[in-house]
Amino acid sequence: MLSAASAGASSPPPSATARSARAPLACFLAAAFYAGILATPAAALSVPAFTLTEVAPGVFVHSGKQLALDAPGHDDIANIGFVAGKRCVAVIDTGGSVRVGRRLRSAIAQRTPLPICYVINTHVHVDHLLGNAAFRDSAAKFVGHAQLGDALIRSRDVFLKDYAADLDAPPSAAQIIGPQLSVAVGSDLELDLGDRRLTLHAWPKAHTDCDLSVYDRVSGTLWSGDLLFVARTPALDGSLKGWLSVIDVLAGMHVTRVVPGHGPVRADLPAALAPERRYLEDLLTGVRAQIAKGNPMQTAIKEVDPPEKTTWLLWDATHPRNVARAYQELEWE
Amino acid sequence: MGQAPNLSPAALATAAVVALLAAAPLCLGDNQSPTGGAWLRLRPQLYGSRDIAEGDEQLMSIEAPASTPDPAATPVVVHFGKALEGKVKQVRVIIDNNPSPLVATMDLKPGLLVDEIDLRVRIDRFSSVRAIAETGDGRLEMASTWVNAAGGCSTPPSATEGGMLGQIRFRPSSDDKALQISIRHPNNSGFQVDPRSGDFIPPHFIAHIRLSAGGQTLMEADTGISLSENPTLRIATDGALSAPVTVDATDVPTEAHFTATWQGTASATPN
Repeated sequence: MLSAASAGASSPPPSATARSARAPLACFLAAAFYAGILATPAAALSVPAFTLTEVAPGVFVHSGKQLALDAPGHDDIANIGFVAGKRCVAVIDTGGSVRVGRRLRSAIAQRTPLPICYVINTHVHVDHLLGNAAFRDSAAKFVGHAQLGDALIRSRDVFLKDYAADLDAPPSAAQIIGPQLSVAVGSDLELDLGDRRLTLHAWPKAHTDCDLSVYDRVSGTLWSGDLLFVARTPALDGSLKGWLSVIDVLAGMHVTRVVPGHGPVRADLPAALAPERRYLEDLLTGVRAQIAKGNPMQTAIKEVDPPEKTTWLLWDATHPRNVARAYQELEWE
Repeated sequence: MGQAPNLSPAALATAAVVALLAAAPLCLGDNQSPTGGAWLRLRPQLYGSRDIAEGDEQLMSIEAPASTPDPAATPVVVHFGKALEGKVKQVRVIIDNNPSPLVATMDLKPGLLVDEIDLRVRIDRFSSVRAIAETGDGRLEMASTWVNAAGGCSTPPSATEGGMLGQIRFRPSSDDKALQISIRHPNNSGFQVDPRSGDFIPPHFIAHIRLSAGGQTLMEADTGISLSENPTLRIATDGALSAPVTVDATDVPTEAHFTATWQGTASATPN
């Protein structure tokens, strides 16, 4: 379930993260006993520096780690960052916990005295959005896809329960902040940061039902959100066919660089999209063939096994779910 | 682990989590034991003090992913061994830790050579999933397994929501020994939130499914909110299934009837 990549990463201690806390303490002790571990080494408690890389003038990216969503450090797995204009700053995604959101906010303050005028969320997933509460007391307006508000309300109880440890105690619905400015499919929104305009584009159902991309014309930087996964197995939570259509459009865009939702920044957008497209096409073909054979979902989960699996991180934690999702979408074709 | 002094603290932490997941079945806490929780309450209601034999995989087994890929749509498969084929008169599937643990009660036609029944279910949290079969001569046999999941009952409607309510799809396996029946229906659990009102979406689910062939009932199933959106049932038999097979489903609270007949092709013929 956890890839080799996690072993080398510096992570916060595995103190009751929401997901692992589901098993009772007795289980943890039993597990620790069987693993031959009785305590977390003190060294794991040191928090590594929060790095922000300036990938183009005024464009800063914090690279998320390639960890599973239930691993220690799972609140810092998405690429997040900000773009600074002459007048103010737009934050793009806030990380998977209020803690990470605060670290981003203080890192921004170290880089620029400009105020934060917008906090943009690229979609509803926790790893991109639970840091929002760290910006609650700023003057920033929260911005997202027109469907994001609804998606958040539907997910709120799960966030409060399963990700309680990633919110401030006590977890409250007020910390799960939806958009004040929303972007509808078919009508882009321009945000002026002072001599720098960001174009926000809302996409039809693809990775999720509320994917938003952000394009900074000054630097030619596209923030794709999770419409693009680099290295990490793409996770399907919207529509497989929809996602493939969106990839076709993205691949025709002329940009200088893309900041994917996960994985390293890339200069060549079509090349960066190619492995993801190949995977999603294989998923589509493979699941369709299983359905055509009359095979049930559990057989499809075992048998849809594209050859490129070794090239993706966290495959075992993601691919079976993608098959299950794709199966449910395609069985009604 | 002792021979690997170079492991970083993070790796150790990772190992602990992995071990924790692996060790989960060792933990028999109050509400997580195969004899605890909902099963303790349900057992006397459903079976009184009758003996229930357990764990003979030759007779019956239940298969579900240990960590479900999709808590809102987890495949659960009940296999019957040769010794039970044709002898099962009723089978129940129970998910101990779900808000509504009894997934389905399925009465089978005497002598029907079923060797497998698949359901697609919602699993709300880490739970034992069990099947109890009753034979024609009154014996009870149980098989159980564990599934790790989160939030299956409150998961919002999926990407496949919509479509025509009550549309029925038949999918036979290539050898015609199995038939999958899917019913387009939200099967609202009552635990999903309507984003517009913020209220819970009222329960609206398939409560009964009847399968028949040539005027004879093959299966009568009472079902509930633990079945996934677009409820799906698959039966596999020892020999080829003979068409036509008619499905008749009823939902609550609207008591709408949905029916279709499989004519031996992959497409449904609504009648």
